[in-house]
Amino acid sequence: MAIVNLQNVTYTYPLTHSPVLQNINLRVNEGQFVSIIGPNGAGKSTLCYTIAGFVPHFFKGELTGTVEVADNESSKSNLHEWVLNVGLAFQNPFNQISGAKYTVFEELAFGLENIGVPRDEMKVRVEDAMKLTGISDLADRSPYSLSGGQQQRVALTSILVMQPKVLVLDEPTSQMDPIGTREVFGVIRKLAEQGMTVILVEHKVEWIAQFADRVIALKDGQILLEGTPGEVLTSPILEQSGFGISRYTSVARKAQGIGLWKNDQLPVTLDEAVEGFALTPSPSPRGRGEQ
Amino acid sequence: MAMHERLSFYAKRDSILHRLNPLTKLTLVFGFVLISFFAPFYWTPHLLILSGVIPLSFTGKVAREYFNASLRLILPAAGFLFIMQALFQPLEGEELFRIGFLHPTKESVMFAFANAMRIFLMVSSFTLFLLTTHPSELMSDLTRRGLPGQFAYVIISTIQILPQMQAKAQTIISAQRSRGLDTQSSFLKRAGSLIPLVGPLVFGSLVEVEERAIAIEARGFTSTKTKTSLHEIPDTNSDKMIRWILAALVLISLALRLWLS
Amino acid sequence: MLNNIKKDFNTMTWVLIPVAIAINIAIGQIVVTLKLPVFLDSVGTVLVGVLCGPWAGALTGALSNTIWGIAIDPNALPWWPVAFFIGLVSGFMAKGGWFKSWWKVVVTGFVVALTAAAASTPIAVYLFGGITASGSSFITAYLMQTGLGVFQAVFSTSFLVEPVDKITTAMLAFAIVQGLSRRFIARFPRPENVEDEGGANQTQLYIAIGVVVLLVLFAAFMLRNILGG
Repeated sequence: MAIVNLQNVTYTYPLTHSPVLQNINLRVNEGQFVSIIGPNGAGKSTLCYTIAGFVPHFFKGELTGTVEVADNESSKSNLHEWVLNVGLAFQNPFNQISGAKYTVFEELAFGLENIGVPRDEMKVRVEDAMKLTGISDLADRSPYSLSGGQQQRVALTSILVMQPKVLVLDEPTSQMDPIGTREVFGVIRKLAEQGMTVILVEHKVEWIAQFADRVIALKDGQILLEGTPGEVLTSPILEQSGFGISRYTSVARKAQGIGLWKNDQLPVTLDEAVEGFALTPSPSPRGRGEQ
Repeated sequence: MAMHERLSFYAKRDSILHRLNPLTKLTLVFGFVLISFFAPFYWTPHLLILSGVIPLSFTGKVAREYFNASLRLILPAAGFLFIMQALFQPLEGEELFRIGFLHPTKESVMFAFANAMRIFLMVSSFTLFLLTTHPSELMSDLTRRGLPGQFAYVIISTIQILPQMQAKAQTIISAQRSRGLDTQSSFLKRAGSLIPLVGPLVFGSLVEVEERAIAIEARGFTSTKTKTSLHEIPDTNSDKMIRWILAALVLISLALRLWLS
Repeated sequence: MLNNIKKDFNTMTWVLIPVAIAINIAIGQIVVTLKLPVFLDSVGTVLVGVLCGPWAGALTGALSNTIWGIAIDPNALPWWPVAFFIGLVSGFMAKGGWFKSWWKVVVTGFVVALTAAAASTPIAVYLFGGITASGSSFITAYLMQTGLGVFQAVFSTSFLVEPVDKITTAMLAFAIVQGLSRRFIARFPRPENVEDEGGANQTQLYIAIGVVVLLVLFAAFMLRNILGG
């Protein structure tokens, strides 16, 4: 059953003339993990804002088509009601700190205070969410004293406590160092395992391939490709259209050209590449060049 | 960075004063200030400082912090006001001495002293309040009593943003200094260096506004539901009693002023 | 009316206010570091007044002074009504279309200065007896020595000090607005306040200079009348 349903969505920001999103049709089923990829300016963030209700409620501008989540229509709802359906987290962890609270625990309770959750339930929900994202030990720290990866996990948790039906994540690791990236993806992996409906914008395709049920490639405000990670992420169209692709895919494609890759399916992750090259009878690459 | 310490005045202790309801302590502050303005005796501020604020700082186990802040922050301000007024306030009366056009009188010195003490009382009792009350506790309590949640947001957010901004300003000033900014140079040069100092600071912080607005909207900031609070702030019967007593004292001092003048 | 005021306080406004207060204080302190003879401690207040309306500006001003008073200089505390009116008046000026070009901004700055002078006079007179902890009280003291009444002395002092400061403040706020993208400004409650009027920059600058000269002459004339009377 589709929990997110976008039909013919076209959107133009105020004071601009050309639409950022054009005729987007997108269905996401409950429990599905969908990843969106695309070059800069493709409209990824705008798509996130649209699903999360900030387009048009916060950004104004002109939206046509319908945006439905859990059978409610965005244009007929208020933003403060809509955010209970769809949770949004984005790139910069620092800007997601409310600034109104002194400790991580208070920061996580901020949203629940706003929507009037009783105190006892509030504490339980915050503690549960902290356990899920592995930040229980940060409860009494100041949100400003944390590392980027920790701050981003706090930002994710602050949305999770609101118990949204759909989670929209807009490049949550783009400002993270490798350690922060791993921390954040650790959380995302758990959410995927728990069956949360997640829409993730991300350019680190090797990570996407591990979680996503479906990948959507966006370009110039339109959907270019759509399918399983294997289909989309290894499609030759991506490379031609200026998308970032996995280095394992490009290596395997080169190897395919000279007969060293025997699989039909090109790899996206290191593991898939290793597996595929292991199928090649000889000469064995002996694992040289792997890190 | 010294600012950071000053903005988070709060000193965590376990004391009767810390346990009082924030509104009670706020009433205490405003009560003291109003009494010092209303009561028609020149010694009221001194009395309130010596027998009110200072003993309370010991009760609150923050005497050391209190005296520290008073000496560093309040005394210079009150002292400066005293000197300005004592010298320049042209009150008729017994002339003390004369230098040029300055001729302070006994009356102007008395007037200046009372004013400075009033300022001292006002600020030092507020300092005591901030030393013993955590800002989020105060805001939770006031929100529960009907202060719009947005006000609480603005106050706490300012307290947290300000030190960050000042740190940024310091960084920019030192960066410009290393590029040749000289605070001793000519007026025009200094005025010209204002824009490169202010520009990055202002635009950097304004850019963050949009994302932070989105982030708190995503967490129900504009929700129309009645807000709840994570912290439970106790409000005992003795709290209420103290508030009533203070209100009564304020009224009495006002009555005295009207009656005696 | 109450509903209109409510509209001015959207989430962008609530998030901008703390930033604006921090801008006030940070610029105010930079100016002290540079030893410039102005305060420039209301740039953020004017900015909020212009982008979010008079009442948001007024709130910013009042809170700014209160927090300044508590955290930095206790002597700033009693002056919060002045900051309140600075925000209020700059908001109303912008609403009336007086924040759309350089020369209009100069006029706004001047009107804000008059407001500040008018609002600070009663505080200085009734709370401090005329002499405050500000350096400009030297002028007041001097004027009182020449036999001027306390009210006139205080007001003339403010009248001498405020215009330069508030016109610079308004121009700085205008420069900031000019540097922001239209798309960003569109999120605030009153983007129409700063819609571009067009017109060549150079011409505008000449008009601005002309207006400053006129205002100075006007101020001098007023001052002479006050002092004479």
